[in-house]
Amino acid sequence: MLRLVLRRLWQGAISILGASVIIFVISRLSGDPVVMLVPPDAPPSMIAEIRAQYGLDQPLVWQYLLFLGHALSGDFGNSYRWQMPALQLILDRLPATIQLAACGLLFSVALAVPIGVLSAVHRGGWIDRIGRVFAMLGQAMPAFWVGLLLILVFAVQLNWLPAFGHGTPAHVVLPAIALGWYPVAAQTRIVRSAMLDVLDSDHIRLSRALGTPERLIVWKYALRNAAVPLLTMLGVYFAAMLGGAFVVETIFAWPGVGRTVVEAVFSRDFPVVQAGVLFTSILFVLSNLLVDLSYGLVDPRIRDVR
Amino acid sequence: MVLQVENLHTHLHLKRGILRAVDGVSLSVGEGETLGLVGESGSGKTLTGLSLLRLLPKGSGRIVEGSIRLDGQELTTLPEAAMAQTIRGRRIAMIMQDPMTSLNPVFSIGDQVSNPLRNHNIAQGAALRSKVVEVLTQVRIPSAEKRLGDYPHQFSGGQRQRIVAAMAIGCTPRLLVADEPTTALDVTIQVQIIALLRQIQADTGTGIILITHDLGVAASLCHRIAVMYAGRIVETGPVRRIYKSPSHPYTQALLAAIPRLGEKRSRLQAIPGQPPSLIDPPTGCRFAPRCPARMEKCAEQPPIVQLADGHEAACWKLA
Repeated sequence: MLRLVLRRLWQGAISILGASVIIFVISRLSGDPVVMLVPPDAPPSMIAEIRAQYGLDQPLVWQYLLFLGHALSGDFGNSYRWQMPALQLILDRLPATIQLAACGLLFSVALAVPIGVLSAVHRGGWIDRIGRVFAMLGQAMPAFWVGLLLILVFAVQLNWLPAFGHGTPAHVVLPAIALGWYPVAAQTRIVRSAMLDVLDSDHIRLSRALGTPERLIVWKYALRNAAVPLLTMLGVYFAAMLGGAFVVETIFAWPGVGRTVVEAVFSRDFPVVQAGVLFTSILFVLSNLLVDLSYGLVDPRIRDVR
Repeated sequence: MVLQVENLHTHLHLKRGILRAVDGVSLSVGEGETLGLVGESGSGKTLTGLSLLRLLPKGSGRIVEGSIRLDGQELTTLPEAAMAQTIRGRRIAMIMQDPMTSLNPVFSIGDQVSNPLRNHNIAQGAALRSKVVEVLTQVRIPSAEKRLGDYPHQFSGGQRQRIVAAMAIGCTPRLLVADEPTTALDVTIQVQIIALLRQIQADTGTGIILITHDLGVAASLCHRIAVMYAGRIVETGPVRRIYKSPSHPYTQALLAAIPRLGEKRSRLQAIPGQPPSLIDPPTGCRFAPRCPARMEKCAEQPPIVQLADGHEAACWKLA
């Protein structure tokens, strides 16, 4: 078990290093940040001076190695725009992003598991049909639209929940639904097909032959088998939510990493982009590690094999 | 009699039409008796077994006629809830063919073996645990106490079939339906499972229906044999009589098809032709199209002819 964790952490470190190279190169392809910092009529000497100040006049490889060396000691440089440590900027917003992604995931699972299970149990029945329509709606509605709709109905019309901001548990409800809405469809289908497979298996047939109540067969003996493919997917979705929450964060003025990074991209604020992407990739790796470890909890065969 | 089945008709309603999978089967199993239900694949053996538990394919399978009585109690009219609570796993238990897939891979065997005991309120708490250990020891799982938390993949195929047997016998059922319990196992393990079934029967007096296509396994375990062909039982009798003097041409052909050691025969003796479609079966004797002793009369339903004590066959030749 420990060996598995160490191996995964090592693989994760390599992934993060790769991500850092890519983001470093790509952000510098986007243009010269100094142009954004100085007035349009600044003399070339001033531009050169600022470039030297941020180390932007050095060769790219050297710049990268410097960045990496500093990053390893926790220094991601100062934000060009906010004149504060980039790391601080990201770390301040990380909890909000994790909170939003976790709530979004929770919402999608809480919806997908019952719908998927009931669709499989009553295959071809009305729940299955409603589930399918629901899934289609989920995939056809982009997050920004769902977000606006939710604000319109629950914040503006009904005035039940706050439309934007962060702080109380009530604030997280609408953004979490907007974020978790899309994956519901795919998760429902995964749960449904996994359940159909399991319900047709020999061991479930034997459970029935031995008089196990249907309720236990479905929600205990079959569901745990179906959880393995769902878990794989949850890892991917959690990671995608961490990195892709930008739209939702913007609509609901949620102070998260995604929004901060995208703003930083527009102002070519390299240190913030780098720190933000790096931390997102660290979270990505960690969430995948978590999924790998939780397989073992669900499926004893995996516990022994690895 | 533990079990008495009379004129059982089970149909599968498929898109292609109605498949008469079990078409007028009558059989009985006594206390401590083993009945072998023998026949080739598709002859309706397994569906006969599933009909006893009323576990037919959802939507398509239906018992349309006949009666199934367990200790005199009619099962065909029993409500589904009562079937689940008082019959399945409690008074009729089943062992299935493939031990590799019959156990749930993500639950410990302790959980799986205790499940029927818990559901049928046989034992709870500490008593449940000791009962589980007792049953597992009975099926000869070594150091059962220590292995309750282990998962199916940590056991061999033979051990898994023993665990399945433990699940089946925990509630001391009156009847055990064993559907090809040895087919997926090595020959040496087969012998062990057969010995286990014998021992279970000696211990509990349960009646057993052994569904198999393996005449060797049937001969070694059964008191009586019922030979099924195309949804009907064509011959029934004590095991010795069936093997020594098979009367129905199908039974004769089936026994002749077994290759024997030391026999110099260049070709295996197969039965020519194929079993009829059960969607639109021929009237009269269903074996007639393949039968070497076919007569004109065979187009009519053959009578069941009593040959000797408990030995009967459905054939015009014997009438």
